[in-house]
Parts: sequence; C-alpha cells; structure tokens
Amino acid sequence: MVVPAPIERLIENLRRLPGIGEKSATRLAFYLLAAPQGFADELASAISRVKRDVVFCEICFDMSESSPCRLCQDKSRNPKQICVVEEPADRAAVEASGSFRGLYHVLGGTLAPIDGIGPEDLRIAELEARVRDKGAEEVVIATNPTAEGDATAHFLADRLRSTGVRLTRIASGMPLGGDLEYADRVTVGRSFDYRRDIE
Amino acid sequence: MTNNTEALVLRFVDYGESDRIVHLLTPDRGRVAAIAKGARRSQKRFPGTLDIFNHLKIQLNRRSSSGMQRLEGAKLLNLFPPVRRDLGCFGLACYLIEMLDRAAPEGGGARDHERLFDFALDALSSLVAGRVDRSLRVLYELRALACLGFKPELDSCVRCGVPECGQLSPYFLVSEGGTLCAPCRRPQDAATALSRGTVRMLSRSLTMPIGSLSRLSMGGKMLEEADRAIRNFQRFYLGLELRSQQFVDRLS
Repeated sequence: MVVPAPIERLIENLRRLPGIGEKSATRLAFYLLAAPQGFADELASAISRVKRDVVFCEICFDMSESSPCRLCQDKSRNPKQICVVEEPADRAAVEASGSFRGLYHVLGGTLAPIDGIGPEDLRIAELEARVRDKGAEEVVIATNPTAEGDATAHFLADRLRSTGVRLTRIASGMPLGGDLEYADRVTVGRSFDYRRDIE
Repeated sequence: MTNNTEALVLRFVDYGESDRIVHLLTPDRGRVAAIAKGARRSQKRFPGTLDIFNHLKIQLNRRSSSGMQRLEGAKLLNLFPPVRRDLGCFGLACYLIEMLDRAAPEGGGARDHERLFDFALDALSSLVAGRVDRSLRVLYELRALACLGFKPELDSCVRCGVPECGQLSPYFLVSEGGTLCAPCRRPQDAATALSRGTVRMLSRSLTMPIGSLSRLSMGGKMLEEADRAIRNFQRFYLGLELRSQQFVDRLS
C-alpha cells in the first residue's frame, strides 16, 4: 500500500511497539489520523513527558515522579521489611493487594542467560548493600514462580544468607477460584507442601 | 487437524494482550513454533505450563490458512525442580536449551527428532543440584552435538581410518571432523594436540547413559583441551555464539 511519507513513518514507529504488527500499526495510524488534533497532541505530549518526567527511585528503583519515591518516603511503612519484585508492574500488583506494608526493591528483571542477562545486569548489589546498611529484618522474594523467577529467588537467597536477614518466598499453589481438576500436578503438589492450619 | 504429542518448551514470546508464541521441541516434528491464544489469562488450558524447560503433553492444531500452528492445550508433566533451585543446573539447562532452540531441525526424519527429544529430557532429568561443573557442560555439549548429527570421530583417524590410531598420539582436526594420527598430519593442518586420556574420556562419554556423565570428571589440562576442542567443533559446524555461554563460564 502506498501512503504519504508521514503516515508511513508513523506506521513504522508504531510497529516497533511490542505486540504490534503491520496490520495493527496501520489501523492505529489511520485511527490517529481521523482523531481530533487535540487527541493526537495530548498523546504525543504524554509520550514525550513519560520519558522526561519519570525517574527511577534511588532507593527501590521503582519508576516514580521523584527520587526517593513516595513509598520510600512514607514514614508509616516498615523499612525493615523489603519485598523484592522483578518489575514495577509487579510492585504495583503487590501494592494493590494491600497485604504488604514494608518497602520494595525492583530488580529490573530476572536472571535470563539465554537473553544474556546475568546478576550484574540486575540491581542485586544494590539490594545487598541496602539489606546490610539499613539493617533489614526480612526480605520477601516475590519474583514470579517461573523457571527464571525461581532461579533468581534461589540466587538472591544464596547471596543474602550471610547477612542473617530472614528470607521468605511468596507462596505458590492453587489460585483463588481455581479448579483442582484442571490444575497441573506441580501446582497441586505445591499447594499441599505449603498448606496451612485453618484459623 | 489436532496432534497430541509431548513437548519441551525452548522459548516463548508474549504476543498481544494475552497470547504467547511458544517454541517447542517435539519427538515427532522437531522444533515447532505455535501460538497459544489467551495463554496468559487461561486458568484451564495452560495452567502454569508455558515456561522454559517445562516438559508438556500438548494438543497442536495445524491451521491451513496460517503457517503457525495453534497450541490448543497443554498439561505439565515435569518442570525439572533442580533447574529452578540450583544456579549451576539452571545455567547448564539454559545453555542446552538455547543450543537446541537454535540448532534443532524443523523438518526431517522422525527418528532424529525422537533421539534429540529423548536426549533433551534425559539431560534435564539428570541434572543434580551441586553437581554441575564445567566438565559436565563440555560432556553435555558433546552429546548434544552428537544428537544433532554432528558427532566427532574419536575412535579412529579421520584420514587413514585405522581404529585407535588416533589415540596413539592424537590431534584434533575440526575441519575434518575428529581425531587425526601423527603420521597423517600435514604441516598445513590447523590441528590441535589432544592427550590420549582426553580422547578416551570424550569417546567414552558418548556411549554412557547421560545420567552417569557427572561421574566422569575432567580437570586441569584435560578439561582445557576438551573444552577448546568441543567448542571449536560446535562453532565450525553449527556456527553458534550462545548468549548463555558467558553466564555458564562465570559459574565454572
């Protein structure tokens, strides 16, 4: 399809976004073309500002408008408890649960040798320093229960053991609303391994 | 047409809102890429299954209108727990899986696919926490090469063909695929010297059950020679620069 150069440029840029193929990029480009000028300006400004205004918190490495972030400055939170997550979206998910009142540490991913990601590419040294310097009492490792997340959790546990901090791992097992009949045997097995007394 | 088979997950890429494209190693079709629609949301069709290293029972649907097959369902058979718990096992598993993902054939004979699939399962099942070292990585790499159809000749000279000849004062000539005896060596050959012990160790490792390879321990000069020879062999025939190599080397 022959289109004017500005549209072609927009399609090319949209195609670089994850999960967007040529058809989706073309559809989005024509949608933007038909949308009011104000919407296009607002979108362009939002994209530009997100890169300019969002910074990484110097303590927890979450994305924030300021550094230290709002959570790290919140005196009502327990600074002796640190929850380690892979990405900012995971921090948001834990926070949304309302179950954790400590502080966070965003690793920036997991160990992924196939993608060339090793320990030096994650914020592990910063976590170790934080645990030692701030006298943390518990580190909750909340990496995802995937192969890479589990391997990273064990790696972190090995690295932090010498600090004497209490190391915990988020539980895994049957999800709420799950169905035993459809669950894989590993998940069912973990549910039994980590079963609790009924209060 | 739906095909029920087993598979090992080599790699995945999240696609769109909730889909996942999965690269699988199967015993009947070799390496296969399939799309699992709604995989990241599904609690029933793909519960906790589409993760690297996982051994699955799957239903594949080949659609005529599209090149990519569709993964209709998967059930977890094994997730190889030591791989998730031990960094040495994890690193070696990544190395093998990356090698298979980049070198396993997509078409060809079913017997070759089955042999490769069995090797991959045996290799992952045999990993024991705390017992993975550089020596085991070299031996696993050699076995993987053999299963991929690139088995070096270690029992005779690649030129004169005399059995055991290559083991008397052997060299290793990558471009001709194996050991070379001293009388057959020409000055222009880019052959490297291998000790008799190294050749015997490597040759023996090709016939042993994979689960027993951790009992063969190489160290010092033998390990250096074997590592260099097998790595050069792999680079010559497969041309792979594996990204996980740096990670694995640091663990050694």
